[in-house]
Amino acid sequence: MSTLPNKIEETKKVSRQDMAFCLSRRPETEQVVFGSSDAQLYELNLAGEKPEAVAFEGEGHSSYITGLARSGKGNFLISGSYDRRLIWWNAGTRTRVREIKDAHAKWIRKVVASPDGTLIASVADDMVCRLWNAETGKLVRELKGHDLETPHHYPSMLFTCAFSPDGELLATADKTGHIVIWKVTDGSMVKALEAPTMYTWDPKARRHSIGGVRALAFSPDGSQLTAGGIGKIGNIDHLGGKARLRTFAWEKGETLAEMESDEVKGMVTRIHYHPEGKWLLALGGDHKGLAMIVDTTANKIVTETRTPANHAHDFVFNESADRIYVAGHNHVTVHDLRTA
Amino acid sequence: MNPIPLQPGCRIADHDVSRRAFLSQSLAVGSGALLGTSGALHALDEDSLNLTLKKTGRSVILLWLAGGSSQLETWDPKPGRPTGGPYATIPTSIPGIHISELMPKMAQRMHKISVVRSLNTKDGGHGTGAELMLRGRKNEAAIDYPDMGAVFAKELGRANSRVPGYVSFYSQSEGRGNTRKTSAFLGAEFAPMNLDEGMMPPNITRLDDISGLDHRERAELREILSARFASKYDSDSVRSHAAAYARVQGLMSSEKLFDIEQEPQAIRDKYGPTRFAQQALMARRMVEEGVPFVRVARAWWDSHGQNFETHAEMVPELDHVMATLLDDLEQRGMLDSTLVVAMGEFGRTPKINASLGRDHFASAWSTAMFGCGIQHGAVFGKTDEDGNTVVEDEVGAGEIFATVLRAMGVNPHSEYQVGARPIPLVNPGIRAISPLLA
Repeated sequence: MSTLPNKIEETKKVSRQDMAFCLSRRPETEQVVFGSSDAQLYELNLAGEKPEAVAFEGEGHSSYITGLARSGKGNFLISGSYDRRLIWWNAGTRTRVREIKDAHAKWIRKVVASPDGTLIASVADDMVCRLWNAETGKLVRELKGHDLETPHHYPSMLFTCAFSPDGELLATADKTGHIVIWKVTDGSMVKALEAPTMYTWDPKARRHSIGGVRALAFSPDGSQLTAGGIGKIGNIDHLGGKARLRTFAWEKGETLAEMESDEVKGMVTRIHYHPEGKWLLALGGDHKGLAMIVDTTANKIVTETRTPANHAHDFVFNESADRIYVAGHNHVTVHDLRTA
Repeated sequence: MNPIPLQPGCRIADHDVSRRAFLSQSLAVGSGALLGTSGALHALDEDSLNLTLKKTGRSVILLWLAGGSSQLETWDPKPGRPTGGPYATIPTSIPGIHISELMPKMAQRMHKISVVRSLNTKDGGHGTGAELMLRGRKNEAAIDYPDMGAVFAKELGRANSRVPGYVSFYSQSEGRGNTRKTSAFLGAEFAPMNLDEGMMPPNITRLDDISGLDHRERAELREILSARFASKYDSDSVRSHAAAYARVQGLMSSEKLFDIEQEPQAIRDKYGPTRFAQQALMARRMVEEGVPFVRVARAWWDSHGQNFETHAEMVPELDHVMATLLDDLEQRGMLDSTLVVAMGEFGRTPKINASLGRDHFASAWSTAMFGCGIQHGAVFGKTDEDGNTVVEDEVGAGEIFATVLRAMGVNPHSEYQVGARPIPLVNPGIRAISPLLA
């Protein structure tokens, strides 16, 4: 869908007792795999009338599964968990292939595949990004450029990462709003950016923090980078801040736009650009789900709305970018994007 | 119930005041001092005398976890359950007992502490829950009860002490008001010195334009005027205020007590750079100088959104501070005379909400304590597999209050006389948790 959509219509909902944190779709199908708070991976064929989730087999994770990526040839699904492990799965047989037990020293927050599917990037609260060979599971490179602690002496968190469309760059972002862009081939640091409004430190009333950059996406031409999160938050007991996006012309280190929602509160957890780059979609939420559509030529939020389902943690487009598959709190849903 | 008594935390023989010495000192200063209070109706029976002897030189440090920390991310994890959250558990120094992976330092010291996993306090409000936990009961329409700090300031405070009886650090503003009504009928003398903004009391130093002589003469004048006023309008309130003034004057001469720079840098580094850590160090410093009760509030744990990240930030700090305080007290030989209690107004719901938060929950939660008068390595009570209900050894706020009193050598069933009404320190029928007592 290249025209700017302004309506997000839920067409299918699979209610769950658990939380679905991450999701991968088998290309050209309605079949998705999602990672759950019950430490299982499930396959779900959303083309069916009453989709039944089928659990992957064999010894898996022991905590929330928060990252899921598909290797280039589509043979493997690679999952990452708060249990610090990465597990390679045979996507066809839903069986375990290999495990990297100590892939990270702390919670793994996100796992993504490079555009050609040959590399897997994982980020974790040990503040390290690691690149892995998607086929062999061999460690290729470590990227270290995020501080272990916040400026207030508390543990920081490395939430998210995203490859550039040509696969040459990787962006990583942390709790304090620090973003680093890396050259994938040699691990050198290309650029550092800041999104400080996405980090809320309350020095007076509650003396802890909340927020951080939770989502990153490069524009299809690679010139822009959009970060998503929440902030500033008055009462950090809740996710009661405005959903927030910041778009950079990253090579110049310039902020092109900081966009906050006037309509919906909550945290942006996932961003995808439309393949032609004319708009982007951001999802997330507080208790409820939220969706924002941004006209990327004007860098302006054109649609901001609550979604019928709860907080959304992850989503993917179909090939024509007129349908999304969403993993969230107590649900997996399908939504069609339309122009009213 | 898994009480594993390894060694008692405190013995009469450990104290440096013998019964003979104590009696001779007490007789010298009068029976009021012997009883520890002018109003408490302690009978001079053997039990009361033993308790009175035991409480000499003792102090309490309350780590007040304001806003309500999660028992599931600390002392009572439920791994693998839908309510359990993402954290793993780790074994502790007590075989078979696991706690959250966020507390590795306390896990190593589990055999030195006691944990209660079976609190059902039935009040999920911040203000009312704080009132309940700090008093062991709810205020009545006709009477406000003194909080734990005021009671210990009265019961453990030394006559003519130059240090305050009750110091309260509460640097964050959220929830501070819930801890403000304190001494009630005990009077201003036992109200806390509130240190909200810094660690040094404001205006503690003599103004430059007042000479030392002027300062002394002003104090003498105030004492004369106060005595004259008291001779005509004597009351508990007047006496209490006079005592409070005298203590303030004492404070002005103990400026260094509040100066953390007096601590060696190595000790400060051990505690760490956070404000909570530095205030815990100050608490140890004050206890060392004879302050009977210090509250160090760490707010604000109210994690309705992103509970796990909030606890990832705050529990490691709590773990480090508790472990460092325990080690420090032990190395200084103060663990037998200092009780440390870590609790808030309630725990948090086992159910995880859509913001990945946990809400208020008072039905099945935990607290921990170590040091003077408390059993080593006891884990008391049990919740169900999801942490929704207490299934073994349910206790409430009153039992915790009574346990702390008993551990410190204060008879929970002694009474204050308020007008014509005797007021027991705990409500009738409330008992200390005896398996926790050394």
